[in-house]
Amino acid sequence: MLALTATLAEPQHFSLAEKLLLAALVAASAAGFWRRFGVVLGKILKSKKDPGFHLFPIGKRVWDFVCEVLFQTKVIRQRPLPGLAHAFVFWGFCAFALVTLNHFAIGLGLGFLDPAGFFGRFYTYFAAVFALACAAGIFGLFVRRFLVRPVWLGKKLSWESGFIAFLIFLLMVTYLASFFVADSDPATRVLWWVHSLAILIFLVIIPHTKHLHLILSPATVFLSRGGFSQIPPLVGDEDFGLIAGTDLTRLASLQAYSCVECGRCTEHCPAANTGKSLNPKEIILGLRSYLNDLGPTSDEPLLGKYNAQEAAFQCTTCGACEFQCPVGIEHVPIIVGLRRGAVNTGAWEDEYGSKLFLALERGANAHGLPASERDKFIEKQGLPIFDGTQEYCLWLGCMGGYDPKGREIIADFARVMNYLGTSFGVLRKEKCCGDPVRRLGNDLVFQQLAESNLEVFEQNKAKKIVSICPHCVRTIQEDWKEFGAPPQVEHHSEFLARFANKLPKQANGETIVFHDPCYLGRYRNVYEQPRTVVGLAGELVEAPRNHERSFCCGAGGGLVFLGEETGDRVSKVRAAELVAAGATTVGTACPFCNSMFRDALAEKGECAPQLLDIAQLTARGLPTRGTS
Amino acid sequence: MSGIWVVVEERDGRVSRISWEAVSAGQKLAALTGLAANAVVIGAQTEALATEVAAKALGKAVRIVHPLLAAYTADGFTLALQQFIESEKPDYVVFPHTYQVRDYAPKLAARLGQVLIGDVTGFGEGPVFVRQLMQGRLNGSYRHSGNGPCFVSVQAGAFRADEVQVGSAAISAFTPTIEQAQIRTKPSERFRGAAQTVDLGSAQLIVGVGRGIKDPANIPIAQELATALGAELGASRPICDNGWLPMERQIGSSGQTISPKLYLAVGISGAIQHLVGIKGSQCVVAINKDPDAPIFEVADYGIVGDLMEVVPALTEALKAAKQ
Amino acid sequence: MKIIVAIKQVPERDAQVRIDASGKWIEESGVQFALNESDAYALEEALQLKEKHGGEVVVLTAGPERVGPTIREALAKGADRAIHIDCADLGSRDALGVAKLLAAAVKPENPDLVLTGLQSDDLGLGQTGVILAELLGLPHSSLILHVEKTDTGLTVKRELEEGWFRTIELPLPAVLTIQSGGNKLRYATLMGIKRAKTKEVRTVTAAELAVNSAPVAVLERVALPQKQKSTQILPGNPKEAAAALVEKLKFEARVL
Repeated sequence: MLALTATLAEPQHFSLAEKLLLAALVAASAAGFWRRFGVVLGKILKSKKDPGFHLFPIGKRVWDFVCEVLFQTKVIRQRPLPGLAHAFVFWGFCAFALVTLNHFAIGLGLGFLDPAGFFGRFYTYFAAVFALACAAGIFGLFVRRFLVRPVWLGKKLSWESGFIAFLIFLLMVTYLASFFVADSDPATRVLWWVHSLAILIFLVIIPHTKHLHLILSPATVFLSRGGFSQIPPLVGDEDFGLIAGTDLTRLASLQAYSCVECGRCTEHCPAANTGKSLNPKEIILGLRSYLNDLGPTSDEPLLGKYNAQEAAFQCTTCGACEFQCPVGIEHVPIIVGLRRGAVNTGAWEDEYGSKLFLALERGANAHGLPASERDKFIEKQGLPIFDGTQEYCLWLGCMGGYDPKGREIIADFARVMNYLGTSFGVLRKEKCCGDPVRRLGNDLVFQQLAESNLEVFEQNKAKKIVSICPHCVRTIQEDWKEFGAPPQVEHHSEFLARFANKLPKQANGETIVFHDPCYLGRYRNVYEQPRTVVGLAGELVEAPRNHERSFCCGAGGGLVFLGEETGDRVSKVRAAELVAAGATTVGTACPFCNSMFRDALAEKGECAPQLLDIAQLTARGLPTRGTS
Repeated sequence: MSGIWVVVEERDGRVSRISWEAVSAGQKLAALTGLAANAVVIGAQTEALATEVAAKALGKAVRIVHPLLAAYTADGFTLALQQFIESEKPDYVVFPHTYQVRDYAPKLAARLGQVLIGDVTGFGEGPVFVRQLMQGRLNGSYRHSGNGPCFVSVQAGAFRADEVQVGSAAISAFTPTIEQAQIRTKPSERFRGAAQTVDLGSAQLIVGVGRGIKDPANIPIAQELATALGAELGASRPICDNGWLPMERQIGSSGQTISPKLYLAVGISGAIQHLVGIKGSQCVVAINKDPDAPIFEVADYGIVGDLMEVVPALTEALKAAKQ
Repeated sequence: MKIIVAIKQVPERDAQVRIDASGKWIEESGVQFALNESDAYALEEALQLKEKHGGEVVVLTAGPERVGPTIREALAKGADRAIHIDCADLGSRDALGVAKLLAAAVKPENPDLVLTGLQSDDLGLGQTGVILAELLGLPHSSLILHVEKTDTGLTVKRELEEGWFRTIELPLPAVLTIQSGGNKLRYATLMGIKRAKTKEVRTVTAAELAVNSAPVAVLERVALPQKQKSTQILPGNPKEAAAALVEKLKFEARVL
């Protein structure tokens, strides 16, 4: 009963000395805050401007801000319990806005909220509910970090986090306790001063710790690059990527300072999960340390003391890190930027990497095979040549044109297109779309490939492209934009899903576990179309990690063309997970995923599930087995 | 002009096989042109070589003798043969196309205002000499123009050593004038590469083993084939992953890239990672029981069959051929 | 050390081989061109020597206007400057004729070392470097995998048949022909290409070099080989197939 009739107690009659003391403390706290925050803001603003950054269209930015910041959607969805706890803390802070303002106003004799009045009572109770939730939340988070100690938060215990948690808890406790005392109670004054000191200390601490995210992350989320894993263009004759501090842009610096060290990026990183030295969190924190120590005007290399070159080249660019980040850090452009700095200057010396670059410098495909092999396949398979009259241009890609399994996928997809009566043709000459060199940071070769291919598309008047490879789709649609206007391109899952009602439904009692390709799911936001197609061929089963949490097959980022990996094979880990789903078939929608799983699944021997692309799954249901 | 002179090289104290092929070519050229075929021996061991050569159907067998020719140097051989040619005035000088010949014959020819027509695979009326261009994808017909000797070298295996006609030739010696100061290069003894590590990247003959071998207990069958061939043993990735052969023997895009004269793919289906690793091979032979295996697309020769039967048969056939 | 690297632009390795109207060479329209493979290794060797001992690397090439990109590629990889012998009739000269052109451009430069690739991907003669040495009056060695500078000149590692090697010492100045595979090639970088824009390319015409060359070895005509590359499946039981294979390998493929 006391709770329902209690009002928030406020200390009365602050003396002049007290008011002066308060003013001095507020000034000192503000100065302490600015002393550090000013420096951080300065470093961000002193970084060079981001080329190709457009504030408009602003709609998506506002939407992302509302969802991810105000409603904490990503924070909660990807790590539900801790996410909810954090959301309560955040919402508590928001709800406390007026409370805190009033709190300090009281100290100066200018209180404006009457805790006994209608609005005052409603609002203080409203804030009290949030205070309870916030206290519970912060307590839970404290227990998680210091007692449960999940591996993703790092091995070292963060005493600053502990202290901040304590301060927040103290703030909530002092607020709630103020309902149980009277205005005239001496305890009220004590609570008031403790609460004030807690806030003032907290204010100073913010810019010195990862709690900087309180101020920065709303801006970071709002100011994203404008696309998933968007790689910025190079500008001028002296820009080769992220080599030194002078290359860091404002967005990169802002993002580096926004990191809350939550470890969600690392938790989902295929490299970090298989014993590689790459740790996406450490990459960002490495940049932050660099900025703290040397700043954005330094010539000291970014790769060296603060981040290792080896780690930067273990990234498959799967994007799980960037997707998971609740504060809007875009890891992939940063990692690719670091790679660019090493590759565009020749500082990266890797036997397999050099071979890949030399092969694409001279020849048409990433394998280094003669282009005549692709011609032979086209002839043998009887694929029509695109002459501008057909509706679609079927892009073979390096896997579809040269890999035996990729060719089977093409052959089956061609059969399906013929069955549907869709006219298509293949280009006489294709060069690699450039995905592996783009992700490895070789802008010279990428530009050559993009420009050459764009010209071919132009000459052949190809307006609609369909491809079996999500890497080609992404690179053609997005990355080629830097050098021209690419035609419209879609993935064959999007094509097939559109014709789902015309494709036969197979009744065979098979279960199919579908593996979401990184470049189709997270990169292109295409999840349901391949599932529609799989559903026609059997019963869909979800892998333990599916949709946006799909675990990479390990081929991306150009890594499939490099040498053996250290630690466990990413493909093996994912293959084991897919097998554990217990389906008869593993369904893929990317020829690289297919290639990576082939050996891993074959190892299981006789009881291994089948491995089929969605095109193959569809084709086997077609009524007649004619030639394409 | 004194006809055709074949320059003979030694190997392990005897006339090398490729030199016999050059002699065979010389005899055929003689038949075509109506000129006499002769041989000249240069280097060390010239007595023994001259004796061997003199047992063939040749006009003369000349030994070029000089202490400074005991070890091959481009300067030494060029000076010696230059003087010999200036005195004998041959119509044709025929060489075996060896690394050694490639090092001095162009120099010798240039000194005499001529150009070597090298690595010839055949010749016909004219005479017109045929050699390969564009890495074997084109044949070119060459003719010698102007006065002076025509220098030709013949490709290994283009002519057959067992077709050399026997007879008897007169042996004589020729001593050129060579000063030590004219020899500008100093060669050392020859040596082998580092033997301990497996270097598939430079091996000339390789046998590759794939999943078709089914069991590690069967690998010795492939090893015997490799031994009979004088080849290195390599494997596709699954074999190395299973630990049946060490990782350093992996052939493929993430392992070793090979460029041997001959690659025998045993029980390998031909996944692209493997094909990429072997694309530099001059000649690919595939043995696989699946006639649709992709490896057959890139093979020059193939045998469709059970490798457990084919490989031992091949080992036997190779051993027989060596004798 | 002043090193001159003689490079050649050749048709790409997987260029389509069609015979042109004259019947004396391949049809060049539609063919892509690239730096000759062993010349890339020669360039790499030169760049590594420069990195170790200082000096200058000059690339020299003879050919028509289309060799421009290949020259730029060499400059992008690190050569300091280039000499382009503008010559539209390279095909009508024999190896001696080409070497004479190169020698005329090399002589006034007085280099310490001249490197060429072992042989070209199109003609595959493998003679230009050796003839060049003769014309310049310099000592030479061929099929070189490794070069080291010493106080008295050079120590080089030469490749012999069947996995043997030989070390050779020779004085400077000298000429070497470089075998593929001795070093790891460096890839062209964006930075290299941007820097190459400011490097000197001096053009001199074949006529200016005043070299006479009536060819001694004349390429009269070219033809496609009768046997196209296709898989021969050897029939019969294992014993028969094995015997047939050995025969083919010995006398047709000539790899045994």
